[in-house]
Amino acid sequence: MHHLVIDRWSRGSSSLHQRDPRAKLAALLVFLVVLSTTRPGAQWAFVAYAVLLILTANLARLPILGLASRAALVLPFSATFALLTWWSGDSLRALALAEKSFLSGTAALLLVGTTPLTGWTAALESWRVPRMLILVIQFVYRYLFVIAEQVQRMRWAALCRGPKQRGFRLAAGLVGVLFARSWQRADGIYHAMLARGFRGRFVPAPPAPFRSSDALFLSTCLAGCLAIRMLL
Amino acid sequence: MHIPDGFLSTPVWATLDVVSAPAVAWVARRAQRDTQDNRIPLLGVMGAFVFAAQMVNFPVGPGTSGHLVGGALLTVVLGPAAASLVLTAILVLQALIFQDGGVLALGANVFNMALAGVAAAYLANRLWAHASRSVAIFAAGALSVMTSACLALGQLLISGVPMTGGVLWASLGLFLISAIMEGAITVAAVRAIERLNPAWITPQPATSRAVAAIAMAALVLVVVGTLIASAAPDGIQRLTMQGVDSVGWRARTMAGLVGIAMIFALCYLGGKLKSRRRSA
Repeated sequence: MHHLVIDRWSRGSSSLHQRDPRAKLAALLVFLVVLSTTRPGAQWAFVAYAVLLILTANLARLPILGLASRAALVLPFSATFALLTWWSGDSLRALALAEKSFLSGTAALLLVGTTPLTGWTAALESWRVPRMLILVIQFVYRYLFVIAEQVQRMRWAALCRGPKQRGFRLAAGLVGVLFARSWQRADGIYHAMLARGFRGRFVPAPPAPFRSSDALFLSTCLAGCLAIRMLL
Repeated sequence: MHIPDGFLSTPVWATLDVVSAPAVAWVARRAQRDTQDNRIPLLGVMGAFVFAAQMVNFPVGPGTSGHLVGGALLTVVLGPAAASLVLTAILVLQALIFQDGGVLALGANVFNMALAGVAAAYLANRLWAHASRSVAIFAAGALSVMTSACLALGQLLISGVPMTGGVLWASLGLFLISAIMEGAITVAAVRAIERLNPAWITPQPATSRAVAAIAMAALVLVVVGTLIASAAPDGIQRLTMQGVDSVGWRARTMAGLVGIAMIFALCYLGGKLKSRRRSA
């Protein structure tokens, strides 16, 4: 499944996996800003960005095709708008729309494919993102797949009981029952946390030091992006 | 309705990032104040619930089906601050892991769905609650979807994504249909939840109706204003698109970086203020 793949990728041990999440997050933001401000006419620049991403994926030992197929999830949306733009006679801009959204998606995947969730949330926390938001992100991710599987089982059960019954009331009832079960699950989780000594806040591990190799990585990314942006 | 990266012009995404970051910090503070310890896992599990509930399809017409969006349901059940926070968390995960919405466009998506969408749901629920509970919840669902969709459409148009009149009207029609569906499914789901256990619905924080009406009017103005601004592209587009194009890439990249620095500074200041207030 989708989530398991990204989780497995993020536990790799390449040199990119070992970089500080703060450096990787900053590099992602720099890449995205530079990409977003590239003129639609500079088609060679987009090729160069793609090469840069492929090199990075190689460094991280991630499968290029797997990355590309996951990033392609944005394409239905961008293709619709790209077609509209094409229609209005601006084919270069249409192409750039699709390219930008696809390359941005690939870059974001490179971050989460080389950094476990706890890594990038710790980076966000060190950048003063509210702790409450970080906690909610971590809980949502942790229980996302549990509850998605539950919904799948409930749908199969409903189908078994009455294959013809697929109406609005059934969906609403399903959502209601799913809500009830989620609520009870949250209660159970809280009591399990209390039983394990939870006192109202999490104690984060002290952040790893920002090493010179991290700074080197960040400045290489910065230089690469800016060079492409200026020269092409 | 999730806008990917590459669609919004730099001034649009940078502005919305700058607006959304302190707003989310404020919402997080509110949610933290209103939330007891035992609700921290609850907020997370509710986020996962919304993710999963979006997988439940129901038939709408021949061959098409719809699903719950969930913003209004969360607002009615958890209250506005918590709902906003949970939706923001969902949007962050969708942007980074599920390629649903962009990272730079996160500010725009958070603004449209987690801030304006939740505000619309909350205010609608507040304004019409005395008339009829079902009407209020229906309005909350419908208006939250309509608000988010119109804002997203307006931002795309301001960014210079071209749309002909026919496409525009067709998408507005589609939004209207999904808004009505969202209203109906929200009412049905809240009714089902209330039948199971009425205590699950959090009482909404009290706001006077006059304030709610004024806030609603302001929200409507923002949405309509965005649409009007995008329908009159001559002024706005010259300001954003061509104006910025002629400035050249250096200035534009600088604008982006300055935007990010400003977001960071605002968040940092917010955190400082918060900790000072707590220690005082």
